Amino acid sequence: MSSSHDRPGGDPGDRFDELEAELRTLGETLHVPTPPPDATARAVRARLEAPAPQHARPRRSGLLRRPRLSPRKAVAAAAVFLAVLIGATPQGRAAVVSVLRFAGVEIRVGEPGPLPTGVPSPLPSDRRVTLDEARRAVAFPVAVPAALGEPSDVRVADGGRVVTLLWPGLRLDEYDGNLDVVFRKDLGEPWPEDVPTIRGWWIQQPHGVSYVPRGGAPQPEERVAGPTLIWQRDGVGFRLEGADKEEALRIANSTR
Amino acid sequence: MDDDEAITRALAGDLDAYEVLVARYSVAAHRTAALLGAGDEAEDVVQEAFVKAFRHLGGFRREAAFKPWLLRIVANETHNLTRSRGRRADLTVRLGQEREPDGPDSPEGIVVAADGGARLLAAVRKLPDREREAVVCRYFLQLSELETAEVLGVRLGTVKSRTSRGLRRLREEVGRELLP
Repeated sequence: MSSSHDRPGGDPGDRFDELEAELRTLGETLHVPTPPPDATARAVRARLEAPAPQHARPRRSGLLRRPRLSPRKAVAAAAVFLAVLIGATPQGRAAVVSVLRFAGVEIRVGEPGPLPTGVPSPLPSDRRVTLDEARRAVAFPVAVPAALGEPSDVRVADGGRVVTLLWPGLRLDEYDGNLDVVFRKDLGEPWPEDVPTIRGWWIQQPHGVSYVPRGGAPQPEERVAGPTLIWQRDGVGFRLEGADKEEALRIANSTR
Repeated sequence: MDDDEAITRALAGDLDAYEVLVARYSVAAHRTAALLGAGDEAEDVVQEAFVKAFRHLGGFRREAAFKPWLLRIVANETHNLTRSRGRRADLTVRLGQEREPDGPDSPEGIVVAADGGARLLAAVRKLPDREREAVVCRYFLQLSELETAEVLGVRLGTVKSRTSRGLRRLREEVGRELLP
């Protein structure tokens, strides 16, 4: 780029080298405020997905995911990644939404919209397996809470991306908690409660939960989830639904 | 994921892949919009440009580079904005303000660090639009002549001549004291 033929002006007495260098240096000192690239990426995605700004439900305005991180970076960032996106898009400006991403779950805390009325539907390509089959089918270690013992049902979904263990009234999803957003939760205030002892978050109120497929399909199925504990251990994300807080913590502590 | 793969996947409707592209070129796009005159509307210009780029991705020549193609859309959006406002590029206003002694830590806008730089910058902002755009692309955005031609939608020879004219004018304007 700085080779001689690239220089304007052919006359040897009319050289601009120094001026060009000055200009480049000046350019480097010009500070242009730019939002974080992934915030722009999300805002653009929201615009692409927004059907009609006036009628869009703000909390469904985008199936928002961050760009992939390298596993190493992701592990470092996985503990808690907290981002507050305010007014990322003009149509999003009305709905101030705080986003908490943690262990494969994206929690969006915003205006308490109506809870979804969707009927619970199985995860994509969900199939019933034995615990051993599940362990062979997925790339992460499947943990069983000692407090609960053998699950009554085991399911693997979406090509081994999620394992679901079921006991009467209890559901535990396990998934790679490092890379992608696997579940998205939409809730109104209050903010989820931090549970540092297990590096997790407790969500007391009923809220919308949707599965975020690997390819990022535009409209996820959404259903209502009850009180939920999410936590992470050894890079595996856990989502436990159906227990009260005390029991959930006991279960989480017994999961190895 | 390289650009080519991301574009292929984005063409198939994969918005994750497109997010990767957006994140990758977000800073370059914001700089381009701001320095070509979008001012504090740079963010909106950039988002709109990325939306348009996605919708016109089918027209992107696959053997070409993505960045100048994208920046051309950014430049066009910036033009539309400044034209609709009936004003000259906002760069002028911003830099004029920033030259006031409110220090290099102005919360927003383009901040000029060095004093001599401010003088040269003042000269750049006084250039005729076409020359200023060429100079901004070549030196502030550090684009090659070919990239500049694509971004500004003009021929290579036009870039060369506008750049030369601009440089000549700048040298006259700032005089010798700036140049050792």
